[in-house]
Amino acid sequence: MASTLKEWKDKTICVVTCDGRIIIGKLIGHDQVQNLILNEAHERIYSEDTDVEEMPLGLYLVRGDNLCVVGEFDAAKMDDTIRVPEPLPHIYQQQM
Amino acid sequence: MLPLSLLRAAAGSPLLVELKDGTTYNGRLGTCDAWMNMNLTDVICTSATGERFWKLPSCYIRGSAIKYLRLSDAALDKAVEDEKEQAQRSPAGRGGGRGRGRFDNSAGRGGRGRGRSGLSTGRGTGAGRGRTAAGRGRSGGRGPATQTSSS
Repeated sequence: MASTLKEWKDKTICVVTCDGRIIIGKLIGHDQVQNLILNEAHERIYSEDTDVEEMPLGLYLVRGDNLCVVGEFDAAKMDDTIRVPEPLPHIYQQQM
Repeated sequence: MLPLSLLRAAAGSPLLVELKDGTTYNGRLGTCDAWMNMNLTDVICTSATGERFWKLPSCYIRGSAIKYLRLSDAALDKAVEDEKEQAQRSPAGRGGGRGRGRFDNSAGRGGRGRGRSGLSTGRGTGAGRGRTAAGRGRSGGRGPATQTSSS
């Protein structure tokens, strides 16, 4: 467990941004407003019909505003065959 | 390393900025400030859908509108070098550089907390002892002995 970002410095972390992207990278630095520097970052893209894709991003600076969740990343526990399920159908129809 | 130090070190190198609305600005970083506001030159602006492009000779981006930045690896090397240079210029010693005192919780805050609790106990015993003869008599009469034994 880590209660501050400081404890994850120089470790590989997983970041979920406000727009739903999942970015993995090594935490090089951060500041008071949770701006993060991620080195060797890559994005994990989950989709309905293909395995997880990894998009290399390089050196990344994520602005704290855009940050949703930060967690420790363990590559050994990752399952690349996970698919995103189909969206749920509408639960009601508009009355005409 | 602080994100803004990295950004400052990246001045002059190519940079990709994505704004909160999804548009991207790809250009060379000119100047930037503490709010992440920045100037870019030789910019290619891409719409959020990626369908339209604009070429701009220069532009100014408000920091608060930024979602993320993509920097060149060279910027990180430069930032590490700058940090070393800074350390040499102001050798170790009371929180020089960039506000280390404020950022490191264990040093500043912890110290102050301990200090305050020490002060309050000190004030309690001090008041008893430091009063005039009358004061001392009164507090003695009420029994500081029970107070100290209880605490």
